[in-house]
Amino acid sequence: MPRPSFYQEEYYPSPMRHTWTDFQRNHIALAGLWCLLFFIVAAFLGPFLVPYGPLQQNTDMLLLAPAWNVNGDISHLFGTDSLGRDILSRIIHGCRITLGTSVILVLIAMLVGCSIGAYAGISRGLRASVINHLLDAIMAIPTLLIAIIIVAILGTGLLNSMWAITLALIPQFIHQTRDLVRREFQKEYIVAARLDGASNHRLLVKDILPNMVEVLVVQATMALSVAILDISALGFLNLGAQSPSPELGTMLSEALDTAYAAPWSVALPGAAIFLMVLSINLVGDGLRTALKNRLLQ
Amino acid sequence: MRRRVLVVLALSILSGCQKPGQNSLPMEGLVYCSEGSPITFNPQLDISGTTADATSHQLYNRLIDFDPETGKLVPSLASSWSVSRDGLTYAFQLRKHVNFHQTAYFTPTRSFNAKDVLFSINRWFDPNHPYHQVSGGRYPYFESLGLQQIIKEVSLINGFRVEIKLNYPDSSFLATLATDFAVILSEEYASQLMTENRPELIDSLPIGTGPFKFHRYRKDAYIRYSRHDGYWEGNQSVEQLIYDITSRSSLRLAKLITGECDVIAYPAQTELQVIEERSDLYLEERPGLNVGFWAFNTARAPFDDARVRRALALAVDRKTLLDAIYFDTAVAAKSLLPPSSWAYDDTLEQSSYNPVQAKKLLQEAGIEPGFTMTIWAMPVERAYNPNATKMAELIKHYLADVGIQVQIVSHEWSTFRRLLLKGQHDSVLIGWSADNGDPDNFYRPLLSCSAIASGSNRANWCSAEYDKLINLAVRTADESIRMSYYQQANQILMDQVPLLPIAHAYRFQAYRKGVSGLQINPFGGISFANVSKDRD
Amino acid sequence: MLIAIARRLNLLIITLFILCLASYVLAFLFPGDALTNLSGIPALSADQSHQLQLMYALNEGWFSGFWTYLKLTLNGDWGVSLNSQTPIFEDILKLLPASLELSLYAMVISLVVGLPLGVLAGLKHRSYTDMSILSVSLTGFSFPVFWLSLLLILIFSLQLGYLPMSGRISLLFDIPHSTGFILVDILRSEMPVKDAALFDALRHLVLPTLSLSIVTTALVIRLIRRSVVTVYASDFIKAAYTKGLSHSQVFWRHGMKNALLPIMPQLAMQFTVLLTNAMIVEVIFSWPGIGEWLIQAIYQRDFPAIRGGMLAVSAVVVTFTISVELLVRILYPLNKRQFYAQT
Repeated sequence: MPRPSFYQEEYYPSPMRHTWTDFQRNHIALAGLWCLLFFIVAAFLGPFLVPYGPLQQNTDMLLLAPAWNVNGDISHLFGTDSLGRDILSRIIHGCRITLGTSVILVLIAMLVGCSIGAYAGISRGLRASVINHLLDAIMAIPTLLIAIIIVAILGTGLLNSMWAITLALIPQFIHQTRDLVRREFQKEYIVAARLDGASNHRLLVKDILPNMVEVLVVQATMALSVAILDISALGFLNLGAQSPSPELGTMLSEALDTAYAAPWSVALPGAAIFLMVLSINLVGDGLRTALKNRLLQ
Repeated sequence: MRRRVLVVLALSILSGCQKPGQNSLPMEGLVYCSEGSPITFNPQLDISGTTADATSHQLYNRLIDFDPETGKLVPSLASSWSVSRDGLTYAFQLRKHVNFHQTAYFTPTRSFNAKDVLFSINRWFDPNHPYHQVSGGRYPYFESLGLQQIIKEVSLINGFRVEIKLNYPDSSFLATLATDFAVILSEEYASQLMTENRPELIDSLPIGTGPFKFHRYRKDAYIRYSRHDGYWEGNQSVEQLIYDITSRSSLRLAKLITGECDVIAYPAQTELQVIEERSDLYLEERPGLNVGFWAFNTARAPFDDARVRRALALAVDRKTLLDAIYFDTAVAAKSLLPPSSWAYDDTLEQSSYNPVQAKKLLQEAGIEPGFTMTIWAMPVERAYNPNATKMAELIKHYLADVGIQVQIVSHEWSTFRRLLLKGQHDSVLIGWSADNGDPDNFYRPLLSCSAIASGSNRANWCSAEYDKLINLAVRTADESIRMSYYQQANQILMDQVPLLPIAHAYRFQAYRKGVSGLQINPFGGISFANVSKDRD
Repeated sequence: MLIAIARRLNLLIITLFILCLASYVLAFLFPGDALTNLSGIPALSADQSHQLQLMYALNEGWFSGFWTYLKLTLNGDWGVSLNSQTPIFEDILKLLPASLELSLYAMVISLVVGLPLGVLAGLKHRSYTDMSILSVSLTGFSFPVFWLSLLLILIFSLQLGYLPMSGRISLLFDIPHSTGFILVDILRSEMPVKDAALFDALRHLVLPTLSLSIVTTALVIRLIRRSVVTVYASDFIKAAYTKGLSHSQVFWRHGMKNALLPIMPQLAMQFTVLLTNAMIVEVIFSWPGIGEWLIQAIYQRDFPAIRGGMLAVSAVVVTFTISVELLVRILYPLNKRQFYAQT
């Protein structure tokens, strides 16, 4: 509740609040946010709600069609796969794995990337030049390619593919942070603080970081969508999570064997990945636009 | 919007395309989607069905063949043969005017004669033969049958007559000569390569007398054969025969549907219904001479204990495996032999699913709950086991009920077999397709002591008693006496359970409308000798 | 200017050098015998082993070992594949064109479709047209490539039966290998049924190119739209309008040039994204390219092939990226000033 104001004072929302208000005006982005929230809730609570385990086989019901099909059965809403496992349960567990691991690895990549980026942003001279040049070269290589190469070295498996994608995502964050820190350091408020005798460290933590948060959030959502696509792509190529894990990409590649007889077992996990990535992209795009609008004002 | 543009774009490209399924390419040829790359182009050197399918009936001939309908022996390169009264001497009269392939790398100057037969047999039989050590010097099929001990000598009577003497009678010997592995190579080509000092090419650039000659090969991609116009049986088959190597069965089916393949190998059991529903595809079914089983590595503790093996066998409900993996396209296996064999024992009891008993046996054997074992699941589909990984997952499920943890292991096929040979597995899901109709072809290669070294005894199980029985069985030609020996062998297997037989699968062949002359040969590899394709 | 070029070339050489070094070190990090990993010859006899050790100068210390390896690599001797025992370098030379061809056509489609749509969206900023183009592009951008390919196969190959779903051309055609680009090879070959072969090859190209290009088209639209919006908001466009220039004059003389040139490198970078996605698409469509080959090598733990494939793919990507940057810098020197202004 706004307090009754005695003065003819305008209400200035905080920058973050400002971005948020602007974001809310974008209905599509808001829908994306709801969709994303749904996925997050499904990932957290879903496993407790679904009636079947992700690996639980029901050999009496193999390749059952989804419930809306004539041959479907309401006890398996999305049908079953060739081992009689409930596809809905597997997808919900799959969201948990795919989304969960992606979030974790984006967080790690952000932490590491920002630290290195901040360091690169402050430092000057040869060290900076080396980092910059290496970064430019690495940034040019798509993350999935780096991830495939790293998996080739480490060997296949979910954990290895997580490492691989984390490593592949870090350069983006370094790049972003470095540019941001550089730009901010030239601004007057930093110069003023520096004249007051603030150390580089203090400047970074107290002054620049708060200004960076929103940009980083946007960057993180972008990285998250990339991470989900990559981790499921690796799963699909049998380089990441291995069957029978209900990781969505792995599920898809497993379903290939029955693709013709049971197209839904290919369509549904893919649709889950697609919706997840789409909602994240919508949110990211909305945030980015809102941020740009605020900065332009 | 953008999508609409793309769709319009795609449709405009599509509008120029033919109606589905009509393959109106002007090139004549048949594409067979096979399930894997052959290890070599000489089936003497390898025991796998993939190699035999790819080479044996396309590139080569044997002295004698099985009639695919009746299973009887019929003349091939040998126009006739005779067996001495004591069963020790076999004489073969050879066919004349049989041409070898003329290719870019070899031009024959003479037609087939007794020297070629001598060379082909001596290559694997005589350890001192100059070609014996070429390409590794292992001849697993002949080794697993112990043929080197059975044959005494091979001799040339005249240019078109060969005599083989045995050390002791073997009623399955003729059948062995008719298998996919007993192919006839060209002696002239071999000596030419020897003088050029590159003998190993005989197995990678093959020359034979078969209906097709080798053109080109790319591992995991394709094999190209072209028609051998001078084929002795006359040749009406297609001009080109192409093996499109496609290891995923779903992909093979998809290619069959789109018309990229004319014939596919091993349609998966789940897909059979799809094929039957479509009017442009045909499915042929035949009871197969095969057995899918779960072998325990008896060379490793605790699987050297028969109680453990029995317990594991009891802990698994084979009926479910049959339903879930074979989809009713197989019969439950009681022993090694399929019901279509003459030595099949109808009276044999099958052990039933009994987890309680299994738990008790495990306890007696001192296996603690939580014990972990590996199940190796072969990575390729075979008729006898269309989806080993899935089967392994089901078994894992069952074993969890009796307190055993299972780790499923799978490697790429050639690696898989290499590591199996080293005996690194606890247990393995694999199987066997017979090469001839003789029951000995199941009992000996699968579980005899000599088969351990040649690698077809996946259980690494060796029993003197069992070996004695199956040796006695081949010494006589009387089927009822042989049968009684095999029944005794079955009893040993029931008691010892070196492997758990699971199913005898039907053999399926799927092909497109317009392909004719294809026959399922229950006794061995696929043959395209008389295949033709209508152009529609 | 010269400094900029020298810098890029320097970077290129250093990066390639580092890649070589990495691939050399990998041979020792991979499980198994380093000599086998380098040469691809399994189960060495003592004699062979000795010979190879001399060849790779392994017992003369790290430096000369690497130096020998570098020389061998530059000479095209990359060892043989463990799995097929064929020379890796020749395999790669055969396979790389297939991947490049696929990516190239997809790139062309993306530009042809993405450019006008992106410009349109940029010009009609914040209109319904813009919104719909943007949301469609956002959708396209969110598609997992593998799923999209599968859907296309399910619909166009399996349900409708219009298009083939594997390989570059029906195996019945035996196209002699010369350039590795199938369309070029067909045109250059002297086969009797050239037209049919060409048509068949085109049919095989449709689905993989389509599934590759949708994602890239979406990216291209976004890039171009953003750039057009930025340019049209700038002062010199306003100035041009005040000068009395017509819409089309402003658009062609000032708008396009300034909108497209700065994003040229970014557009070109999409090619590397394509090349990566092509790896997945190749697996699905059994396209005999480098990606399919590399992934098979990973499955089979074929270390010499993994090493070679990685070196080849990353070298192509890095070389491509740096040359694009170099080209843009030469063609468009202003960028340099912008570049320095940024830092």
